[in-house]
Amino acid sequence: MDEEEKVYHERFMREAINMAELALASDETPVGCVFVKDGEIIGRAMNETNRTLNGTRHCEFIALSQILSTHPISILRETDLYVTVEPCVMCASALRQYGIRAVYFGCWNDRFGGTGGVLNIHSDPSVDKPYPVYGGIFREEAIMLLRKFYVQENEKAPKPTQKKTRELKTDILPLDIHSPKS
Amino acid sequence: MVTPEAAEEAVSCSIERLGNVPRPGRLVALKTKDEVRAALETFEAYIVGVSAKFAGAILNVIRESLPDLKTAEFQHLRRVVSFEYLPQHLQTRFGIIRYPESDIRDETDGFTALTRAEIRYLLVSPITAISQSGLIEVLAKKPPFLDASALPAVFTIPVPALAPTSAEQAAQWTRDFWPISYKNTNPYGPHPSLVARNTADIEEGAGTYLALAEAAGEQISELSLGEKVGCVIVDKTGGDEQIIAVTGDCRWQSRNGGPMKKEEPGNVMAHAVQRGIAMVAKKRLRVAGTNPESISSSKVFCDSPLTDHEKHFYSLDNIPPNGYLCSELDIYITHEPCVMCSMAILHSRFRRCVFSRRMPLTGGMTAGVGSVQGDGSTAVVRNVSGLGHGIFWRPSELNWKFLAWEWIDTDRLDTYLEVKDTLQA
Ligand SMILES: [Zn+2]
Ligand SMILES: [Zn+2]
Repeated sequence: MDEEEKVYHERFMREAINMAELALASDETPVGCVFVKDGEIIGRAMNETNRTLNGTRHCEFIALSQILSTHPISILRETDLYVTVEPCVMCASALRQYGIRAVYFGCWNDRFGGTGGVLNIHSDPSVDKPYPVYGGIFREEAIMLLRKFYVQENEKAPKPTQKKTRELKTDILPLDIHSPKS
Repeated sequence: MVTPEAAEEAVSCSIERLGNVPRPGRLVALKTKDEVRAALETFEAYIVGVSAKFAGAILNVIRESLPDLKTAEFQHLRRVVSFEYLPQHLQTRFGIIRYPESDIRDETDGFTALTRAEIRYLLVSPITAISQSGLIEVLAKKPPFLDASALPAVFTIPVPALAPTSAEQAAQWTRDFWPISYKNTNPYGPHPSLVARNTADIEEGAGTYLALAEAAGEQISELSLGEKVGCVIVDKTGGDEQIIAVTGDCRWQSRNGGPMKKEEPGNVMAHAVQRGIAMVAKKRLRVAGTNPESISSSKVFCDSPLTDHEKHFYSLDNIPPNGYLCSELDIYITHEPCVMCSMAILHSRFRRCVFSRRMPLTGGMTAGVGSVQGDGSTAVVRNVSGLGHGIFWRPSELNWKFLAWEWIDTDRLDTYLEVKDTLQA
């Protein structure tokens, strides 16, 4: 990826990070995304699983619902996704069924990642066209947001937690988020 | 097997009024990803035939010569087997071999033909542990091969690499490979007793719920708003069963509510399972005193009830307000859910999942090269491979697991619930 391209992708990942920060401030899992067509953001969202009591309301789904309320489904074939955390298996499959053009993400998700973290739903045999994925854009920032969230949740927990777990760790290697499995 | 009559008794009166006729059939628990792998993996092993009285001594010399041999890794394989317990093809292959015996000498050639009752076949080791010539050298150090004028007969056979996960599988492998011991456990999936208990718990109602799911799919399809795929979400934790949500596929509904042009893939987020999960969430909000319509939600999710069936069950306030997502709930689906929907079921922490028709090209639940045997009479025998995801039970990788079954309908041919084979259900 040359410098010009890098600047282009980072611009949109910054927007996705902003959505993740909004999620953190709203007590939602800090994952955010933007969908981009021809250099324009056509949808942006954060996770909303807590507010909706619906475990499927990931930011990708929310943004897709916005886009499809005004655009035809076929627009997704010329659209790229920028998301702070690797799409889960569910979202990875939805994106492939919709025919997304490419996916750019921040950190990997080794609990249910669908584009390399756990499974390879973007490229496995399927009746739908595969799509390319590019991970690691602002990876540290994406992880820091998740860490802040876990600290925040621990502080809200009714039971007193050990002081150690409440400290914000600054090294970037949490247990549940790491590089793709070989 | 559940007869329609027995299943009908389990039906609550609210379903009867809808004219629902239970499907006759039975449940077959899905194999997990690891179980499928365990069923396929074999390694080559050495077998040596020897008179019974030397079996212990030979195993000792092998232990001494191969100190790194981890016998615990093939504990499921019987180590010493007499002729009569060999699988048929090995009986034929091994036949009655003439073995050198140092203490019973035949007058003419120094051999004695051991009778079948005297021979023991020893499983020595995987062939990776020692070369065949090395093994023969080791064996020749001790009686009965010491000073014998002929070399020991060493065979190589394939054996299952991992322990069996059920008594039936152990019996099958014993016929196909080598005598297997089975210890009523399952390291690669849910414990057999857990599966049996849960199968018994849901077997009676399953045909009813699947018939209702089928009707839900048909109702929306008649409006040209979706494919004939439906799902039913049930709470069976208490004594009385509650139907929480009934939904059909709604992928062909356009933004203005009418049918859209059927261009693939349609609205993926309006699959029956997605709509069912959304209606459970909305019901929980409502029962907890929050107007679900006040939580802004896009029409694109198609999460409001459309048909009579959907409206009827959505209107019932029959869910506890404090539950977490769909935990403790069961989901019945006409077709094997796609990867997206399979993962949505996992994200939602469902307790159990039953589906009727397999979708080998698109389904996310089945774990791979699946072979469902009929019971020999009326059950449909299907032998299909799938994508191999087995999303319901991958506990070392995904953060939730649940039990899943395939429903084998006894009444219909393979055309039952037939859809385009590339359909994402
Ligand atoms: Zn997701
Ligand atoms: Zn689906």
